Amino acid sequence: MKKRIAGLLVITSMLLVSACGNKSNNEGASSSPAKGETKTLNVVNWKSYGSDDPEVVKEFEEKYNVKVVHQYMASEEELLTRLRTSKEGDIDVILPNASILPVAIGEGLLQPIDTAKLANYSSIYEPFKNIPENAKDGKVYAVPWVWGSTAIAYNPETVKAPIDSVQVFWDEQYKGKIAFRDDFNDAIMTAALALGQDPNHPSDLDAIKKKLIEQKPLNRTYWKTGDEFSKLYAGKMADIGLMWSGQTASMKKEGQNIKYVIPKEGAIGWIDNWAIVKGSKNSDLANQFIDFMIDRKFQESWVNKGGPAPVNKEVGKNLDPAFVEEMGLDEKTIGKLKFIAYHTDEEKRKWNELWLEVKSH
Amino acid sequence: MLKKGIGWTYVSLVLLFLYAPILVLMAMSFNASKYNALPFEFSMRWYRELAGNDKLIDASLTSVYIAAGTAVICVVLATMLMLWAVQTNSKLKRWIDSLVVLPLTIPWLILGLSLLLLVSAAGIDKNFTVLLIGHVVISLPYAVLVIKARLQSMDLTINEASASLGANEWTTVWRITLPLLFPAMLAGGFLAFVISFDNFILSYFLIPGGSSTLPIEIYSSIKFGFTPEINAVSTVMLTATTLLIVLIATIMRSSLKFFLK
Amino acid sequence: MDRKIWLMSPAVFLLLIFCVVPLFIMVYYSFLSDGTGGHWTIQNYMDFFQKDIYLKLTWKTVKMSFYVTVISLLISYPMAYVMVSIIQGGKNILLMAIIVPFWTSQLVRAYSWQNLLRDGGLLEIVLRKLHLIGSGPLGLMFTSTAVIIAMVHIFFPYMVITIYMSLEKVDGALVEASKSLKAGPLTTFRRIVLPLSKPGIISGCILVFVPSLGVFVEPRVLGGTQGTVIGTVIEDQFFEIYGWNFGAAVSFILLAIILLSMAVLSRFAKEEA
Repeated sequence: MKKRIAGLLVITSMLLVSACGNKSNNEGASSSPAKGETKTLNVVNWKSYGSDDPEVVKEFEEKYNVKVVHQYMASEEELLTRLRTSKEGDIDVILPNASILPVAIGEGLLQPIDTAKLANYSSIYEPFKNIPENAKDGKVYAVPWVWGSTAIAYNPETVKAPIDSVQVFWDEQYKGKIAFRDDFNDAIMTAALALGQDPNHPSDLDAIKKKLIEQKPLNRTYWKTGDEFSKLYAGKMADIGLMWSGQTASMKKEGQNIKYVIPKEGAIGWIDNWAIVKGSKNSDLANQFIDFMIDRKFQESWVNKGGPAPVNKEVGKNLDPAFVEEMGLDEKTIGKLKFIAYHTDEEKRKWNELWLEVKSH
Repeated sequence: MLKKGIGWTYVSLVLLFLYAPILVLMAMSFNASKYNALPFEFSMRWYRELAGNDKLIDASLTSVYIAAGTAVICVVLATMLMLWAVQTNSKLKRWIDSLVVLPLTIPWLILGLSLLLLVSAAGIDKNFTVLLIGHVVISLPYAVLVIKARLQSMDLTINEASASLGANEWTTVWRITLPLLFPAMLAGGFLAFVISFDNFILSYFLIPGGSSTLPIEIYSSIKFGFTPEINAVSTVMLTATTLLIVLIATIMRSSLKFFLK
Repeated sequence: MDRKIWLMSPAVFLLLIFCVVPLFIMVYYSFLSDGTGGHWTIQNYMDFFQKDIYLKLTWKTVKMSFYVTVISLLISYPMAYVMVSIIQGGKNILLMAIIVPFWTSQLVRAYSWQNLLRDGGLLEIVLRKLHLIGSGPLGLMFTSTAVIIAMVHIFFPYMVITIYMSLEKVDGALVEASKSLKAGPLTTFRRIVLPLSKPGIISGCILVFVPSLGVFVEPRVLGGTQGTVIGTVIEDQFFEIYGWNFGAAVSFILLAIILLSMAVLSRFAKEEA
């Protein structure tokens, strides 16, 4: 009896939910443009991350006579959930990174990209064309767009001694001034760098945990979102942080006195890539969008506004060399970075739990 | 007199605590720094940017509409439910008491995720109907608990007296119970409104592509930082609400008094 | 049968379909093993009880929520009482004044507290001007005190409203009668006013304690390196890793704790009566 009631409830709810859906579908149909009018390209990206700049959107829309609609992502894992639960054709272009790309490709959520159709593909730095996570069976599924590092940002007013090592996060003299990142990946990889382990495949997780617990009392706080860090820093609550190159550049442009250093041990590297969702009804348009995004013109204007490092190697030639040097925007830096590799769900869970143990220690 | 003095002092202190962060938040909308940094430097920069930010304005309006719809539905449902609860001695009542607070006890993330799974299993588009239902579900406990607090303390003998004087049931509800409940309905509605207005996760899961709400705009910005435009929006809304309340209070003074007596 | 059952059916119907059914989906997930082709397991629940950190974080969160509830009650009861008994005129305006701050985002308010509480922040400046503190730093920021202050700020208005709603209906005649029987003000309060306002207190405590358990923004922004709570764990399972099953299991353990404490609360309420 109870089982039957439960079953009935599930079915009723399904029906009701669909009824709600149908109703609004009809509403949608009446207001959607008639055939032959402008196409809409649905893009999922971080908010305020280059492609949703109103001027950029306007330029692309006018050039191709289309409409670009942005949706925002909250995290890589959330993007994956969104891909899995959205209907075919709802999303055209997304911005995943290596932490979810192999899964998305493996589950058939993405479609291969014909790089020959991208006029600007040849201008991408060579190493970025061969990222293992971006391809499968010789087919390319993701096109690099911007990249950067996660290293040390500090306040030159209060930190006078030269900084060149990741050990600064373990330096007693900076106790109470440090804001380490609250992220299992960044924390573990940084500790691995400090211990001389391979950041992507650390050999001794226990040592890493010990090292992170050792680091904990030196912090003023941990930061999780870029929003938090910028307010901590500007409010003079932290002077040294494990920080992204892109955000540091943008804070510099906003007038903050902040310096950036890639330590001698190397630093964490990351790449954001464009990919086209399987079932997209606008594949050609999606190609044009990606090509537009890796075009020298866009990439140059963004990096000059404080964006992350461009993948287009033509851009670097026009930039201020001192800025390029400090923020690590050139090819030389690429060699120093340990780019975040794909980790299985199992590994991520383990790392996350390790980090949780450190935080609740 | 002394009693009154102590009373007002206490109320002022509580209001100071309540409004201190709100005043800071409003002040920061006039501060030039993008990161709320001091020293304070007066600037209208964020209001100028807000004026040109159609997306943020649209999102804020969408939030207001959804919250208003949620509030109305919640008050109606909660009042009906409580009118039933107060006159019944059904065994169901205890179960329903727990059922009503259930949405409060489940993290919104989990509730939102399961609604998303339900929607996607049913193979339908995300839409505003489901979104509104989700908001009603999470806001309903607030409306119910406020109305309940009122109703249970209410003197039920009034109803009985009225009934024994020959007023039929509906006249009693309409002329006596509802006016007595009115302040609680109003407060419950406001609470439902603000719960919906500040909810990020349900909207985020269920909103159709291309639409946005104010919390979505805020929480999507945290990766790289939101600007004091958000403070500016909040300041505009707070000011508008305050003015609206003062206006309504002035115009409807007499009729309000009638209701609240 | 109850002939007014239609009054409650819309709300109950809505809750059954759009809250209970989705929850069944989540219960199902919580008993599923990780990975593709998951099978039935109680491992997710076992994990919670076998590892110290989850119990530790749960206990920490329950304690924190308890403090927030007690402090909110201590602030709210006098507030509601004063509004009802001393400030007769303008109490509706006051009620509005208590709700209006909710128009602002919880996250933005947390940052405001950062500006107020940090060393060299506004509170420190004001307190120093008033000569209430010495020249040392305030030392409030990134402590559990800061988190509790911000959480009380968010939740106590609910309590004021529910207590106010029940107190306002306390019959003045009863209080007068009690006084005429020569009962002292304290006795009148304890024997008449307090019992009558109990529904408001209970509703208020639920509205403060329960949502406090799921909070994670304030602890993170204001709690420093000790800002991890059980709400953080649940968020992580969705946003940081693919751990829905475990996240659902943690949520249901929390739910069990809440239902248990509500049962205790209602038994307590009955015994008093």
